[in-house]
Amino acid sequence: MVAQVSSSASSPHRYVIIGNGVAGNQAAEGLRERDPDGLITIITNSRMLFYNRYLLPQLFRAHQDWRALLAYPPGHYEKHRIRVLRDCWVTAVDSRKRQVMLAHNEAISYDTLLVATGGRPYLPEELVECRHLIHPFGTYEHALAVRKALPENGSVVMLGGDMIGLDLARTLLDLSYRVILVTHENTFWPHQPVGEERSKFLAILQKMGLEVVDGDAMGGVVAIEKGAAGLPERRVRFRQGGDIYGDIVMSFYGLSPLVEFMMKSGTDIERGLLVGTNLRTSDPHIYAAGDVCQIWSEKDNVYRFYYGHRNVRAMGAVAALNMTGGNEHFSTTQDEALFQNEQGHIDSPFWAYD
Amino acid sequence: MNTTDIQIALCGSAGDGTIAAGDILRNAVAAMGYRVICFDVYPPEIRGFGKCISRVRITKEQTYALKRQSDLLVSLDDSHAIPHAGEVRTDGAIVYESKPVAHCPEGSHMSGHILPGQIPYGIPLRELAEKATGGARSRNLVVLGVIAGLLGFSPVPFQKIIEKKFAKQGAGVVSRNLAGFQSGYEAGQNTFKLDNVFCVPMESVPAAGKVVMLSGNAAVVQGCMDAELNTFFGYPITPATTIMERLATAMPKRGRRLLQTEDEISAIAATIGAGYTGSRAATATSGPGLALMAEMLGLATMAEIPCVVFVSQRGGPSTGMPTKTEQSDLNAALYGSPGDSQRIVIAPTNVEGCYRCAGKAFEMAEKYQTPVIVLLDLYLSNRYETVTLVASGPPFNLNANKPLRRLEAGEQYHRFAMTEDGVSPRAVPGDAGCMHVVTGLEHNTLGRPNDSDENHTAMSHKRHSKLQGALQHPDFTVTKRIGHSGRVKVGILAWGSTFGECLEAMFMAHAEGISCAAMKVVMLSPFPIDAVTQFMDDCDHVLVPEVNYEGQFAQLLQGLLARPVVRLSRVPGSPMPVELILGEIRRLAGAV
Repeated sequence: MVAQVSSSASSPHRYVIIGNGVAGNQAAEGLRERDPDGLITIITNSRMLFYNRYLLPQLFRAHQDWRALLAYPPGHYEKHRIRVLRDCWVTAVDSRKRQVMLAHNEAISYDTLLVATGGRPYLPEELVECRHLIHPFGTYEHALAVRKALPENGSVVMLGGDMIGLDLARTLLDLSYRVILVTHENTFWPHQPVGEERSKFLAILQKMGLEVVDGDAMGGVVAIEKGAAGLPERRVRFRQGGDIYGDIVMSFYGLSPLVEFMMKSGTDIERGLLVGTNLRTSDPHIYAAGDVCQIWSEKDNVYRFYYGHRNVRAMGAVAALNMTGGNEHFSTTQDEALFQNEQGHIDSPFWAYD
Repeated sequence: MNTTDIQIALCGSAGDGTIAAGDILRNAVAAMGYRVICFDVYPPEIRGFGKCISRVRITKEQTYALKRQSDLLVSLDDSHAIPHAGEVRTDGAIVYESKPVAHCPEGSHMSGHILPGQIPYGIPLRELAEKATGGARSRNLVVLGVIAGLLGFSPVPFQKIIEKKFAKQGAGVVSRNLAGFQSGYEAGQNTFKLDNVFCVPMESVPAAGKVVMLSGNAAVVQGCMDAELNTFFGYPITPATTIMERLATAMPKRGRRLLQTEDEISAIAATIGAGYTGSRAATATSGPGLALMAEMLGLATMAEIPCVVFVSQRGGPSTGMPTKTEQSDLNAALYGSPGDSQRIVIAPTNVEGCYRCAGKAFEMAEKYQTPVIVLLDLYLSNRYETVTLVASGPPFNLNANKPLRRLEAGEQYHRFAMTEDGVSPRAVPGDAGCMHVVTGLEHNTLGRPNDSDENHTAMSHKRHSKLQGALQHPDFTVTKRIGHSGRVKVGILAWGSTFGECLEAMFMAHAEGISCAAMKVVMLSPFPIDAVTQFMDDCDHVLVPEVNYEGQFAQLLQGLLARPVVRLSRVPGSPMPVELILGEIRRLAGAV
C-alpha cells in the first residue's frame, strides 16, 4: 500500500523534474504514486522520451528502430499524466521565484524541483579544440553518427576508456571492429583501480582484443587531426612524438555533472549539486538525484558520487518519497568493484541494469 | 506504408505568410510530380488577428481528401497552432520557434503541448531568418526550407517557385527570400531526424502528362476561358471573389469583357442581358448574393435565356461565416426563385470537376436555354489539387445552340416554339427576320403575353421537360458509382466537395473488409432518379453525408424517391471528417 499525500484539488502541487533519465523517470513514477493530483513535468533537451542508454551499443549489432529503445511507450506518460517538455534547454533556476527558466523565454513554476540532469562526457581541456574531430557517445543521436562514420571492420581510437566506452568496446570487438585504447587516468572510470590491479585489468582488455596504448607513457594526446589521403580518417598525435590512426576517435573520460544552469540558483555546488542522504540540496525546495549530485557520505566524511543504474534508480525513488513529505535516506546497495567474469572478460556492476 | 502520403499543416497568424508558404510548398511538390490536395483556412480579418492554416497532403497516388491527422505541423504562431497539436498523428512531428523574441507566458509555448507520441523539432526560425536576410519577415521561407530539409526534398523546385513568385518585387526580394529558404533548408537537413517518422524517403515522381496545380476557383476560371466565356459580371463576395479576380486578369488578354457591377442584382441582370444577345455570359457569387439574384433567375427561366451562375457556398444563413465552408445553399440553388422555376444545378466534387462543370455549364445553358447554377463551396473553391491536363485541347462544345432553321418567306419566327425536346431554336438580336418579344410575363410561342390556363400549362411543361435532356448531356458525368459492384452493405450517396471524404472513408472501409460503394451525384437538377434508384436498390443501407444542418440532400432524395436514408449532417465550418463517415459505415455494416 502506497502512502499518499494529496495536493489540494484547487492548487495541485507542481513537481518539476529537470532530466529525462533513469532518476528523473523513477522519481516521476514515485511522485505519481504518492500524489495522484500533483502536476508532474519533466524537462529534457532530448527529442526522445526516456530511452535505455545501456542499449546504445546494440545499435551496432543490428538496425533498431528508435522506438525499441524507449523505456516506456508514449501512453505511459499520458496514463500517469506526466508532462514531458522535450527539446527544451534550461538556462537557469530562479530559486527565489521558484521558476525554471527555459531558453525559449518561458518560465516554468515549481513548488518542488528535482534536478536529475546526469552528466555530460568530460573532455580534457587540451582536447577541446579538437572536439569537432571526436565522436561523442552519450545519446542515440551520437550512436547513430558513430555507426554511420565507422566503416565495416573499421578502427576506433578510444581515448580514456571509461566504463561507458569499454562497454561499447566489447560490442565492437565482438563485431570485428578494431579498437585501440589510449589509456588515461580516467580509464575504467568510475572505477579507480591502481597499481597492479589496473595492470591486471589492462591485460584482460588486451586479451579481449583491445589494442592498448599507454597514453601516459606517450605524454598524453596533444592533437587530433584529419588523416592524410590514403590513411584512416583520423590521426592522434602524442606529446612525446608518435601517432596512431583510426577511422574515428571517441573520447571516454568519464562524466562531468550538468550543473551550469544551477550556478545562480543559490544551492551549494562543488562538482555536482551537494545533497544530504535525503537528496535535498541546500534549498529545501530543490532535490537532486543521479549522476548530477554528490551525496554526503558519513563513512567517507565527504560528498561523493554514486554511479550505476541501480544507484540512480534508488535515488529517483528516494527523491520522490522525500519530495512528497517522506524522510528516506539513500544508501548504496550496489557493488562498486571491477571484476573478471567467468569468461575471463572484464565486467562491472555499472554495466548492469534492470 | 510503402507509398508517400504526407500531410503538412502550416499554422500562423494573418500576416505571417502562412498561406504564401503553403502556396509555394504545394507548387513545389506538384512540380516534383506528386499528387497534391491542399486547403487553406483563413480569417475574415485582413491582417494581424486571426488564424491561418494551410494544409497540404502530398501523395504518389491519387487521393480524394485531406486527412484528419497531419504528419507534420509547422507553427508560425504558437497561440494559433497549439490547439492543433492534437491533430498531429502519433510519431508525427511538430516544428516550432525555439527562440521566440518575446517572453512566453507559462504554458504558451508549443513545447508544452506536444504529446508524448509526437516528435518535437524546435528550430530558431526567427534567428535563422535574421541571419540570412537581416529581418524576421522571411520566417515563412525559413519554415519552407526546414520542411524541405527535414523531408529530404530537392531545394530546386522550391527555389524556382520562390523566384517566380517574388519576381515582380525585384531581385532584392527574391534573393532575400531565397536566402531565407536556404538557411531553413540547411537547418532542416542538419537537424537530427528520428527516422521512420515520414514513412518513406521522398523522391521525385515522374508525372504523366502536364500537371498543374489549381484551386477549385482557378479551375472554374480555366473552364470558363476554355469554354470561351465572353462576358462576366460580378460583385465580390467570399469565397467566390477569386473567380472574378482571376477572370479580370485573363479575359481582357483575349479581348473578352468583365465588369464589376454595383451589386449582385445588377450582376445577374447584366449576365442575363448578355446571354440574351448570344454572348456566353456568367456571374459568380455566394449564398447571400444568390438570394439577391433569385428574382432575376426566374426571369432567365421564364425568358429561356442561357446564363451561368457559379455559387460558392459558405456558412449561413445571412452573412453567416464567410470564411467557413458549408453545403447549405442546395435548397436555395434548387428552389430559390418564385414560381415553378426549375433550372439546371450541377455540383462538381473535386478540382478537376470544377473545370469540367464550368465548361459544360455553358454548353448546357445554351443547349437547354436556361440558367445553370454550378454549386461550389468554400472547401472546393479554395482547395488546391494537382490536375493533369489533357493534351487534346478543351473538351467543350463552343456552340451548343440549337440550329436556327432558315425561315420561309413571310414565315413568322416563334421564339418559344413547341418542339419534341422542348427546346426552341433561339435567335439573338440581329438575326434577320427573327424579331421577337422576350418578357418575364407568361407568353405564347411568339413571346407575347398570354396567361390562359392552356398556354401556361403547356409552357410550364415545356420549360421543365426540356431540362430532362441534360441527364443525357454528351460527355458529362451525371452520376458515378465507385467501389464494390453489385449488392453492398452500405452505399454512400454524396454531392459536392464532401464526396472526396466519402471516397477516402469508403476505401478505408474496404480495407476493413466492409462491403460498400459510393455514388457521386453531380447533377442535382434535373435529378437523375433512375441512376440513384438503381444504386439505392443495391444497398442495404444508404448513408448521406453532407455539411449542412438540415440534411438538404437527404431531404431531396426522400422527397423524390420516398426511401429511407441515414443522414450524416454536420456544420463544423470545416470539411466532414473522414473518420466520422467511416464510423457511420462501420456502424451500418454492423462492424462495431
